[in-house]
Amino acid sequence: MNVKSLTLLISLVLICPLIYLVYSVLGLNFENFTYLWNSLLVGYSFNTLYLVFLTSIFSLIFGITPAWFISTSNFRGKSFFDVVLFLPLAIPSYIIAFTYSDLLSYTGPLQSFLRNYYPDIYPFFNQDYLQIEILSILMALVLYPYIYTACRISFSLIGSNYIKVARNLGMSQTKTFFKIIIPISRVSIFSGLFLVIMEVLNEYGAVKYFGVNTFTSGIFRSWYSMEDVDTASILAVCLLIIVSVFFILERYSNSKYNYNYKPNDDVSANYTLNKSSKVLTYFICIIPFILGFFLPIIYILKNTIDTFGSIDLNELSILSFNSFFLAFISSFIIVIIAILFQFFKKISRSKTIFFFSEIVSLTYALPGAVIALSLILIISAFSNFSGVSIVFGSLSVLIYAYVMRYMAVGISPLKSSFEKHPESFDQTGRNLGMTNYKIFSKIHLPINKTSILIAFILCFVDIIKELPITLILRPFNFDTLAVKTYEYAIEEMIAKSSIYSLIIILFGSILLIFLRKIINKSINVS
Amino acid sequence: MKKIISLLFLFIIGCSENQDEMIVNIYSQRHYDVDQLQYDNFEKETGIKVNVLKANADELLQRMKNEGENSPADLFITVDVGKLWQAADMGLLQKYEDNSLTDGIKESFLDKNGYWVPVTYRSRVIVYSNERVQENDLSTYEDLANNKWKGRILVRSSSNSYNQALLSSLVANLGEEDTRSWANAVVSNFARDPKGNDRDQVKAIAAGQGDIAIVNSYYIGLLLSSENEEEINAGKAISVFFPNQAEGDRGSHINVSGIALAKNSPNKSNALKLIKYLTSDEAQKTYVNNTFEYSVKPNIEPNQIVKDWGTFKKDPLDLNMLGKERKSAIRIFDAAGWK
Repeated sequence: MNVKSLTLLISLVLICPLIYLVYSVLGLNFENFTYLWNSLLVGYSFNTLYLVFLTSIFSLIFGITPAWFISTSNFRGKSFFDVVLFLPLAIPSYIIAFTYSDLLSYTGPLQSFLRNYYPDIYPFFNQDYLQIEILSILMALVLYPYIYTACRISFSLIGSNYIKVARNLGMSQTKTFFKIIIPISRVSIFSGLFLVIMEVLNEYGAVKYFGVNTFTSGIFRSWYSMEDVDTASILAVCLLIIVSVFFILERYSNSKYNYNYKPNDDVSANYTLNKSSKVLTYFICIIPFILGFFLPIIYILKNTIDTFGSIDLNELSILSFNSFFLAFISSFIIVIIAILFQFFKKISRSKTIFFFSEIVSLTYALPGAVIALSLILIISAFSNFSGVSIVFGSLSVLIYAYVMRYMAVGISPLKSSFEKHPESFDQTGRNLGMTNYKIFSKIHLPINKTSILIAFILCFVDIIKELPITLILRPFNFDTLAVKTYEYAIEEMIAKSSIYSLIIILFGSILLIFLRKIINKSINVS
Repeated sequence: MKKIISLLFLFIIGCSENQDEMIVNIYSQRHYDVDQLQYDNFEKETGIKVNVLKANADELLQRMKNEGENSPADLFITVDVGKLWQAADMGLLQKYEDNSLTDGIKESFLDKNGYWVPVTYRSRVIVYSNERVQENDLSTYEDLANNKWKGRILVRSSSNSYNQALLSSLVANLGEEDTRSWANAVVSNFARDPKGNDRDQVKAIAAGQGDIAIVNSYYIGLLLSSENEEEINAGKAISVFFPNQAEGDRGSHINVSGIALAKNSPNKSNALKLIKYLTSDEAQKTYVNNTFEYSVKPNIEPNQIVKDWGTFKKDPLDLNMLGKERKSAIRIFDAAGWK
């Protein structure tokens, strides 16, 4: 089997939900869609766009500004912030939503405290916090690290040369930031933002709890409540189109602005801060950390201690093992496939391979539940057709679904890393008589080692947080930390769910700290 | 090439399990701790191992549908009878055909078509602020459309199946037209956009964001038995009101949590044994003592907290109507702008 057909085969296996979706839209019944169009679609679209817009704005603020100060200025605690600003990524958005709504609720600690001790100012805090604006801030608080990471790498790579020139020309730090740094970094900022937008579009649990109807809630309302698969498919295709637009934009901006800036050769910080800008810097660095990580963790820890007596350690270790095992195996498979694709693309330079290695990323746009359910349908059809008896909910089906869903997360860092290295490496290898396998193992694997690790960690952190696919496809009597957290949280037993969320966050945090080390090493700053 | 494809699929799919085992497979929407307790007791008594997959009812339905004949599910358990009706309507169930299963269960709770067996029931009631509302201000669900409630009603989203069941019961009782105008009027009486869950509505009354709320009865029990003192206080700030109790009126809306036999159940006899067990007096007592639901058997008394709310007249509507009228109910919600 040659490289092309192997790529084709793997891609087809990975994008079958997309194919199924497009196929199901072919024989449409638009009757119900007209109904949806008239009554709800405008509202759904508005909510979706508004939520995406607000979350993007907040993520950009939380992500870009601290990255700028940390990359260019010297201040005490800088390396501490550089570690902890990654960490909110370890918290799933449904956990932060449930945690904050409990913290801020009428019976939560803040309101109770004020009611009992400061009745005068209490009325200001007795608010309805379940608002779309609050939701967008909460989601931004756990999603901004995508942008922070991208900016941190980009700002450091741009390095001091540009900044020095700007300074010699008399530009202020603010002006340099807006006129030089932001324009040069827009590609990486956009790629971080793309991931944020994907996550917002897919979010279901938190969105439902806050009473915000988005496209994704529309899909489930039509599919589940109205038993109207047609409309659900149309909505899913709408979602897919929106995402494809962003996707193409991202790729386009990538190729258009793919210039090479002179890498950083001087890693010293460029700006010394005066007193007032020091205060501002601390404020900017501390807010995303406190709100996105510290506060929720403290609250979750407190709840864990309160419920410590009822924790079943045996169960906890089984759940932790399940979560860890699934995330590990799936991330491993994703990374292997992603590496193969990038390598095949490089050695064959075929348009077909290029096309398919891009399109497998699109499954990231589909809500997890859609992937899971269409996968069951496809396997079922296959089983009837081939006569092979199938056990649904075997772990391999679950892993298969994870691999489909998170392919994009693994591909993204590998793609940029593989593209960075010049053709001449391969040519030299070939001239020296190396086989493709040798080129792969002696050249590509070693030089892309860092990005392979990054891809693995990002997938792992995402999969350990995953909920909808796990919920639908897991085997009997099999739970993960995320599932258990969710089960207690929807019954409003936040305290009981806390130990499970704590372990998820712990796993994630450890890996993210490790990730930060790798990234900083590769960009050669401390 | 062909070989590779089939090998790949075999890896992905996994291998078939032995079917003649002492097991029963459940797809369940219920995920309370008491359920696991029941299954453990059942296993102790019969030696049959209970395998559980817990998820949302809709997802389980779709999974069963997509699995078709290959489905491993023996039983389907929900907390909303509408979903049981839907499962039967989608052809995913088979009749249980053993009338001894329903011995002692109140006649009006039973499925006339013989597909599902009720296990517990709950009522969707009105709760009101002790401070700002008098009990005699309240009367019926219909009365919530009254102008006097403008800006005072709290309720969760229309995507919640308990709300869908309540509106379905109104469609069945009052007809589509009247329900439509009722929903429009209720939406204009909302204190805020629907959001949160049932307990959040009670907290919002305590916080003064609204005066009355539509919630499931057992959530009040959960609040009152909470470990957080503030939650208990919130629960104490409100009282429970059973609507439509007047002479000649139909009674309060109830919903059933029930169990049904899957169409392609591979372990049918074990499944029937579990149904029988869950409706036994012993299991029914376990339910009422661990949750704040009502038993479907008139001889089993509810938990003390629940008992204190008093007895009430129940809407005798055929419970299948809660599923049958579901789509019209959702259309009415959408048209009324009930988010």
